[in-house]
Amino acid sequence: MSKYEITIGIECHVQLATKTKLFSEVDNDARGKEPNSCVSPVDYALPGMLPRLNAEAVRFAVRAGHAMNAEINPISRFDRKHYYYPDLPKGYQISQLYQPIIGAGFIELPDGTKVRIEHAHLEEDAGKLSHFGSYSLVDLNRAGTPLIEIVSMPDIHSAAHARDYCKELWRIMTYAGVTYGDLYNGNMRFDVNISLAPEGAKELGTRAEIKNLNSFRSVERAVEYEYQRQSKLLDKGEKVKQETRGWSDDTGKTTAQRSKEEAQDYRYMPEPDVPPIHLSDEYIATEKSALPLLPSDYRARFADAIPHDTLEILLDYQPLMEKLGELDDLNHPFEARSQSRREAASDPATAGVASVPRKDVQIISKVANLFASVLLAEEKSAEYLNDLPSVAQLRDLVKMNSDKELSSTATKEVFLKFFDPQMKTKSTKDIAKELGVIQENDTAALEKIVDTVLAKPETQKAQADFKAGQDKVIGFLVGQVMKESHGQANPSAVQQILRTKLSK
Amino acid sequence: MKITREEINHLAQLSNFSLSDEEAKSLGTDLENIIKYISQLDELDVKGVEPTYQVFEMENVWRPDEIQPQEADREQLLALTKEQQDNQIKVPKVL
Repeated sequence: MSKYEITIGIECHVQLATKTKLFSEVDNDARGKEPNSCVSPVDYALPGMLPRLNAEAVRFAVRAGHAMNAEINPISRFDRKHYYYPDLPKGYQISQLYQPIIGAGFIELPDGTKVRIEHAHLEEDAGKLSHFGSYSLVDLNRAGTPLIEIVSMPDIHSAAHARDYCKELWRIMTYAGVTYGDLYNGNMRFDVNISLAPEGAKELGTRAEIKNLNSFRSVERAVEYEYQRQSKLLDKGEKVKQETRGWSDDTGKTTAQRSKEEAQDYRYMPEPDVPPIHLSDEYIATEKSALPLLPSDYRARFADAIPHDTLEILLDYQPLMEKLGELDDLNHPFEARSQSRREAASDPATAGVASVPRKDVQIISKVANLFASVLLAEEKSAEYLNDLPSVAQLRDLVKMNSDKELSSTATKEVFLKFFDPQMKTKSTKDIAKELGVIQENDTAALEKIVDTVLAKPETQKAQADFKAGQDKVIGFLVGQVMKESHGQANPSAVQQILRTKLSK
Repeated sequence: MKITREEINHLAQLSNFSLSDEEAKSLGTDLENIIKYISQLDELDVKGVEPTYQVFEMENVWRPDEIQPQEADREQLLALTKEQQDNQIKVPKVL
């Protein structure tokens, strides 16, 4: 079988988390609400209704653009995209074809691969259709929800990277706070363009577009399937048809929906009802400085404290990353420092993180490991992250562990209690006391326990064996002391004391 | 400019209209006349002129992101549709 190079470009629709719709003043959050209960005469396209642009949607779009390292266009305009379908009663969608609000940018995948963004534009979402035997039902709650459509350059060349790109986009958009990012409810949807060409070929092959994928896994699987399907066609000397295809998670296959040539006559025209957007330099700059920390900021910050794979697990949880940021240094708010880093980056003289005060690598690394172990091991582990422990609790926990007051097992045990509704308001020390897991490190106290054990008849043989050179029996003796201390002695301290005493 | 029958059919299809032969013919004539009238503008040289999006030079007509009570409620809006079911608009099956 011959080898083909795969080329992938992705369009991503992101629903913006504004309070109201893009052009009407009704509730934009229809989750759990009755059909057609969040609808205004504007969404119904009643005669004489005029769209009025939501200022917050513009702000979110600008913020999203900055988060993708993109140019923000000072002037952008709206266009009508005509299509006749009951999901939009106007008979057209208000979109931006010629002058989108967001220009060229890029995002970086976890492994450092750059994917360029061609542009991103603001538009309104369509309503939801449900199909039945001979009829369809229309719910317009979603009609008019603000979207940005992010169009990537064809910079992606594997199924894994396609998945990583979608996931990173999801992280960036949720970190930037412009979307709820609820994939299950369609807050982000992906259209994936896939083409194959013989390796080394100068021209791209004919592409198929897989529409409306709503999970990272289905993006990856659909790309894998398309690679197989298209390479089989090419192997047989057949042509790939340029068409739109749908993906089924159940069958694991894509199927043709409609060919591109037939449709795609949208008769775009300037939208006269929505005057252009004109953004000042100040407006654009203000939004840039208001941008929260993004995954790439945390990667730069924690690269030396948290192993790559662990960090990538934790990065799915923004509140957790914020907590680690807080832990990093209480006296020098992390937020402010990374901000200055971002500003400094444009000035080569002060670029980089060299001027940033040294963080506490040990605290970050230990806390990161605790969260990672919980996230990996426990079912429904993400629920642990709804209400995070306080910075004081976490700092005390790491300190007690470093001071050997808590063994690593005990540390984990106390950590888990931070999420227990009955315990969570208590201090680390109180929780540890209540659990009875604080290790005895006081040498005098430990020596007393050791002496008690050494005086017991049942340890006499072991003592003699040890003195005769059987080093292994030290384990038995340590165990006896641990038992005597009800598990609260620090085992390594106990061993030290035993060795000293027995070698006399 | 001549409007072909194919073009009329194409436009009708895009708008989900079914046209009788007679309608298609008379609409074709109307469309030709409209385009002929508008074609007078072709005399102007608009090279380098920005497309007009706005004749009143307005920009940034924005509103705050606040939910406002609507004068028409769901029942009133649904009453405007031809058919409804379960608080949704019922339409012939579309795919």
